[in-house]
Amino acid sequence: MQIDYNYAFFDEGSKREIRRATLKAIAIPGYQVPFASREMPIGRGWGTGGLQLTLSLVGKDDVVKVIDQGSDESVNAVNIKKLIEKTTGISTTDETSEATIIQSRHRIPEVPLKDGQIMVLQVPLPEPLRFYEPSEFETKKLHAEKEYSGAWLMLFEQIMKYGNLATDADHPVMVDDRYVMAPSPIPRFDNSKMNYSEALILLGAGREKKIYAVPPYTKVVSLAFDDYPFEVESFEDNHCKQCGAAGVFMDEIYDDETETTYFQCNDTSYCVARLNHQTV
Amino acid sequence: MKLDVVHDVQSSYRKLIESMSRPGLVSNIGEQAARVDIETGFYPSTTILMFMLLDTEVTFHVMSKRANEITKLINQLTYAKAAEADNADYLFVLGDADPRQLEKVLRIAKVGDLKNPHESATVIIETSSVTNGNEFVLTGPGIAMETTARVNMTGEWLEILAEKNVEYPLGIDLILTDENHELLCLPRTSQILKRVAG
Repeated sequence: MQIDYNYAFFDEGSKREIRRATLKAIAIPGYQVPFASREMPIGRGWGTGGLQLTLSLVGKDDVVKVIDQGSDESVNAVNIKKLIEKTTGISTTDETSEATIIQSRHRIPEVPLKDGQIMVLQVPLPEPLRFYEPSEFETKKLHAEKEYSGAWLMLFEQIMKYGNLATDADHPVMVDDRYVMAPSPIPRFDNSKMNYSEALILLGAGREKKIYAVPPYTKVVSLAFDDYPFEVESFEDNHCKQCGAAGVFMDEIYDDETETTYFQCNDTSYCVARLNHQTV
Repeated sequence: MKLDVVHDVQSSYRKLIESMSRPGLVSNIGEQAARVDIETGFYPSTTILMFMLLDTEVTFHVMSKRANEITKLINQLTYAKAAEADNADYLFVLGDADPRQLEKVLRIAKVGDLKNPHESATVIIETSSVTNGNEFVLTGPGIAMETTARVNMTGEWLEILAEKNVEYPLGIDLILTDENHELLCLPRTSQILKRVAG
């Protein structure tokens, strides 16, 4: 059976819906714009929000990169790339600097983003106040009133429990001094890449039906206290076992055979690019 | 050649996204506009914006000397419903509209409420020219330090807009376009100052 889809999978009405929400999201940085999220051929919670944004943006001249936790080759990333390729005929890349649209689950690449690129982040839980307040009706009111004691309280409880700001990922940020925003589950290490980013950052939550954005050159501050400042993950003096890189976000891997742990770059294309440029 | 409602609208959307996320950046959609072959009585760039943004889900309002005729045409082309200016999602202020009509639209356009600031109007304005000239200084999100813009519009629109957008996040977003198919966006976050000679 041959099924001919419209260009980029969506009908034009769906694209219009997503585009209208995206434009509003850019005009109100950090505010979650509700939209009529579409049923996608992948499960909700597997990147449908990001995929819908990507498909509404993509055109004949684009080169798309899709990563999942820093990897270009995980099942999720590969399948999303296949869907985009099959419904648009455009090419994909692993090289961050070549891509015009970068869809990502839970990482911002190590190679700095630049003007002309669009970063699309997949978001499971767009509401930063959700653990504090389960009702959407109430959280909308809290955002309306800029009443963010809940966000501060959650951080305070971490300090009481663990002695420091213990968010492992998705550490809340304040955007343009107005909205507290969930930056999607990126590590704290990546939070600073959102601040005055050169590229436009779009965030899409398909299941929760929200689109929000951080325009370029927008102030994004990670929430913290004066006496408990925001700190990123530290890898101390560890280097990547493969390429020797330091100062990047790394995975700690346990080797069963030698019973030792070692570190490796989380961003695989960055690691491979470094290896390819090294002389033996 | 005919306007490609998939690809030409997509590439124009990307230009609009560029301009909306970087206020003051003038983008050109001349290539796409050249393919608009329907006689609408307004700029080809406005026609593309119409196809990009309007459908049955949203409402619009037209300010023009030929408002009735054009409202009917837009409804036929996009199936979007016409609404009163104070309630419309998209407001079109066409080139032949009076400066006072623009001021009226800016005064009464809906700004959303604090819970739903996205339920606000987007105003699409036709002017004779939109450039990077040194008339206004813009600052705000999307702008590295500051940038400049020049638009050929008279009257008190700037003062009215500033008053309208005073209670952020409430406000309206403007898309300006001209005869040369240039696009310039002034979202509610942009602070606009008139350059004073001296």
